[in-house]
Amino acid sequence: MTPFELLEPASLKDAIALIDPDDPTVRPMAGGTALMLMMKAGVFAPTRLISLGKIGDALTRIETKDGALAIGAMTTLSKVEHSADVAKYAPVIVHTMKRLSNVRVRNVATIGGNLAHGDPHMDLPPVLIALGASVRTAATKGGRELMVEDLLTDYYETALERDELIASLRIPAQGKARAAYLKVTTGSADDWPALGVAVSLDMDGDKIKTARVVASAATPMAIRLKGAENVLTGKAVDDKTLKAAGDAACDEAEMVADVRGSAAYKRELLRIYIGRAVRAAQQADAKP
Amino acid sequence: MKVEGEISVDAPRASVFERLRDAPFFASCVDGVSDLTAIDETHYNASFATKVAFMSFKFKVSVEMTRIVPPDEIEAKVEGTPVGIVGRLTATASTKLTERDGKTVIAYVIDANLTGKLGSIGQPVLKSKAKEMEKQFATRMAAAFANAGAAS
Amino acid sequence: MSGTVLTGGQVGRSLPRLEARAKVTGAAEYTHTMRVPGMLYAKMARSTVPHGRIKSIDVSAAKAVPGVYGVYTGEDIKTVIPDPYYGPAFHDQPILALGKVHYIGEPVAAVLAADPHVAEHAAAQIVAEYEELPAVFDEVEAAEDKVLVHDELKPATTFADLKHLKGRKDTNCALDFRLRRGDVEKGFAQAAHIFEHTFKTQKVLHLAFEPHASIADYKDDGVTIYSSAQGPSFVRTEIARLLGWPENRVRIKVPFLGSGYGGKLYIKMEALALALSMLSRRPVKVALTMEEVFFTITKHPSTFKIKSGIDKDGRVIARKCEIWWNGGAFADIGPRVTQKSGFTASGPYDIENVSIDSYALYTNLPPAGALRGFGIPQLVWAYESHTDMIARALKRDPLDFRKQNLLREGRPHATGTILKDAAIEKVLDTIAARLDWKKPFERGTGTVKRGRGLAVALKAVISPTTSVAIVNVGGDGSCTLYCGTIDMGQGSDTAMAQMVGEVLNMPAETIRVVPRDTDVVPYDMGTLGSRSLFHMGHAVRLAAEEAKAKIAELRREVGEPDGSNAPLADLFQKKYGMQAGNIVGTGTYKPDYIPPEAGTGQTTNATPFWMTAGAGVEIEVDTETGHVRILRLINVADVGNPINPRIVETQLSGASLMQLGFTMFEKMHIDNGQVTNASFADYKIPGIHDVPAIMENEAVEAYQSNGPFGGKGVGELATFGVSPAIANAIEDAVGVRLMELPLTPEVVFRAIRAHNNMPLGDE
Repeated sequence: MTPFELLEPASLKDAIALIDPDDPTVRPMAGGTALMLMMKAGVFAPTRLISLGKIGDALTRIETKDGALAIGAMTTLSKVEHSADVAKYAPVIVHTMKRLSNVRVRNVATIGGNLAHGDPHMDLPPVLIALGASVRTAATKGGRELMVEDLLTDYYETALERDELIASLRIPAQGKARAAYLKVTTGSADDWPALGVAVSLDMDGDKIKTARVVASAATPMAIRLKGAENVLTGKAVDDKTLKAAGDAACDEAEMVADVRGSAAYKRELLRIYIGRAVRAAQQADAKP
Repeated sequence: MKVEGEISVDAPRASVFERLRDAPFFASCVDGVSDLTAIDETHYNASFATKVAFMSFKFKVSVEMTRIVPPDEIEAKVEGTPVGIVGRLTATASTKLTERDGKTVIAYVIDANLTGKLGSIGQPVLKSKAKEMEKQFATRMAAAFANAGAAS
Repeated sequence: MSGTVLTGGQVGRSLPRLEARAKVTGAAEYTHTMRVPGMLYAKMARSTVPHGRIKSIDVSAAKAVPGVYGVYTGEDIKTVIPDPYYGPAFHDQPILALGKVHYIGEPVAAVLAADPHVAEHAAAQIVAEYEELPAVFDEVEAAEDKVLVHDELKPATTFADLKHLKGRKDTNCALDFRLRRGDVEKGFAQAAHIFEHTFKTQKVLHLAFEPHASIADYKDDGVTIYSSAQGPSFVRTEIARLLGWPENRVRIKVPFLGSGYGGKLYIKMEALALALSMLSRRPVKVALTMEEVFFTITKHPSTFKIKSGIDKDGRVIARKCEIWWNGGAFADIGPRVTQKSGFTASGPYDIENVSIDSYALYTNLPPAGALRGFGIPQLVWAYESHTDMIARALKRDPLDFRKQNLLREGRPHATGTILKDAAIEKVLDTIAARLDWKKPFERGTGTVKRGRGLAVALKAVISPTTSVAIVNVGGDGSCTLYCGTIDMGQGSDTAMAQMVGEVLNMPAETIRVVPRDTDVVPYDMGTLGSRSLFHMGHAVRLAAEEAKAKIAELRREVGEPDGSNAPLADLFQKKYGMQAGNIVGTGTYKPDYIPPEAGTGQTTNATPFWMTAGAGVEIEVDTETGHVRILRLINVADVGNPINPRIVETQLSGASLMQLGFTMFEKMHIDNGQVTNASFADYKIPGIHDVPAIMENEAVEAYQSNGPFGGKGVGELATFGVSPAIANAIEDAVGVRLMELPLTPEVVFRAIRAHNNMPLGDE
């Protein structure tokens, strides 16, 4: 790791002012768990890091309103994991946390950093996309509201401008929808996933009214699989439909090979796990 | 890491071959190559820069045309060291030209190795980049010949 | 046991580890976090080619980095150490590369700075140019000697059986061990069935949580080295040899180790730290990052071709074993792995005709050494998979087939040594009983299939080796133990204190085990190969018994009647008139051993004790994804009489979980010699969620008649049976046989698809 300057501004506004949009070696830093890996690997050598850790309370709050959740960007994953409100309104997030890396990382990593990093192997982005979550950003020219599915644009690429920071995350009220996330590992249980599948289902009797199906890790970024969603919409959850949804998912998703598996294998995992995730969502606890 | 593919261009094989063995033209089809200087007829030096999100990588590379068999085969060897990080890039790129349905098909195989720190940890990130570069290469190549075709 | 009546009640206690509190409160000291005043940090530039001649090394940019104290190459090292090659079996490893590089990651130059980050930044500015040479990565290919990793073999003089290799050229083979018993070809000719299979294991590594670290402080009259070493006595010998000094000017101090597993044996970073301290005249610390460990020492990948002849009654009458060990660029202890594991490659079976060839091979990969089992897990993987395949092909129950062929007490092993105190059958029976082997087994329904498997193994301990211990009773009656066994988490301090306490009738927790320091603590060959409890245990016992005899003498001398229970302090008080004096007992232990005959490997005394253990598993396979879930993992071992049953249990469970990682998913991915997953981000080891739902660990009732208090070593035992037991269970569940580790979900899935004539394409 090469020497760099660390700044700790006290407000989001100051933080944005310290960013030099023309200099990619100046980066904001949240928990730093992912950035540190890249710095140790030597693939990223910052000249200046702007820590958001001293901005304080405003960015670490979890608030609820009518079943919707607002979570400050600098809230640690542990705090989200142990929040009674999150457990109540988005229990899928709490389940996801249990096998998300390890407790040491969760104690430091933040929900905003998790999204801004753009790493396709993260467990939370597919879940948040399935829940229809959005982020509120802050930037020199004013912030905006952005759906998480629009935030992630490619492998490690996001729609954020260089001088734009995620301020908070908003998860809309889920109504009767139920969600599940299945993390498929091919190494240790706490490895990065070889494949992640998140599904949110809104049922109308025994028929699926709407389904949101998201794949991650095996794909260049967390991505909605609309072909699979279309297959599911209006159908009952049965083996034939699930198989068709799995096949549709395989037709539309691009698979990336890595040490966790070949593209051909990951495609077969996806084919099976679409159905499993739908069933898991169907059986998940609905919000109270 | 191996990248394979083929591009079909609407130009006669002999002219495609001539363009391909012209190093400045070839380099212009590869995203991120700059400062190409010829040492002699078959040796060149260049800079190569690429980035994935906020991570950028710079290499100083030397290129040697190791095999030139008109009108159908060109092979080049690329060796480079990254700037500011311990590592080494070696690659061989071979292209074979065939005629098919009045067009020229450029079949290419690029076998690249990254070693050192870059190879041990940067590899997965750069692998994803290679795919993207390949697409751009194909597009530029096709575009170049489309223009050439229009001009002639 | 010299007829002594043992009344201490310490042996057999499940005493918590003596150092546990210091470790969990962060008070325990480790080399990796140690600092010495005036210390400089070293960071290395490493080779970027797998094999090449060094054309130039440009260090100018590194030297120009502000804060850099100095930059050094192999040529600089030669100015202070003229022949800078080291290693336990071969003197083949240069402190920094000289002339040639042999693998990607070999240290080529080092930078010193007071700030480690400055040193690291500067090291990245070093540019070396190489004339690339052809490289060889596969062990079987290396045996063809088409590409030569070293120009000439340079065996150390310490091992008699390596002498014939001195100066040999045109070979990658650093040792060829041969064992011949009976006539294997004749056996095959008489056999009713012949089976031949080839098994492979992958490259994995130790990953101790404390990476290697050494601090050297060189002065003209002596050098002190703090090091994370598993064998400080060996380090002292080797450093003294490099310096041309007597050993008494070299001091090696070893604080606690954040585990070792064989990766910190012999000499690792110590020589580099020494050379850099000599060049800079400052204390120098070489502390590896976790990533660098991947380029330092690993486990041997292996290819094992095994052929068996079975007679019409189902007896194995002939077995031919050929094993190629991928030792990487430097021999390290590879030749020992090759020979010692070669000994028992035919397995725990009574076979009349045996032929074993075991080859240690150089390749252009990071070096390989000892890893929890000295090669045995690689062998058991092959011979216990092979055994199961034969049983299935002959439609025999795998347990019955094993029992029919098992080597039994009093029978000669393939080496010719008679089996004694090895509860192989009891281990196997215990596993079978716990699995309810003879009862019907639930095979699973739908797409999830269940299976079970077992495996049993035999190992001969590394021999002959020596341990020396000192027991010192002070004027107040308190007792101190000086022993060189390194406590790296296996609980040896506790076990040794228990044995002293047993003899001297003292609570083990009152006995102080002094920190390892070669100026103070006597010789020990090393903490390796499950040897310490037996060898050092005997030395400690002998030292304590000598102290006990001297105490009895003192009692008589001061006029206490026989059987008096007067406190020890009173005896010293009476003799010296004040709290003064010492009683010192010493013990030296070296077992009997007869080296194997060259060419046949035959000896009547191959080992002071046999080690045997096995595993049983119940698994389920998700046939839609290839995921294997371990429902139940049973580890059974013969540890003799357990000195500390609780620690024995944790050693069994820990070893089996480590092997579970090597079995199921751990793998160093290598692309043209480059390790591409050299970090904990991409190389995963088992975590808490990977622990099987049910784990059972049992030490069978046994007594090692020549062991200290009936005990023997345990550290490696539970690694042996895990891999083949799981592969056997996979075949039991889904009918596919896997011949190469690891058994990842993709490998299982592809095998199932191929089995169903729907092979999955490559992509």
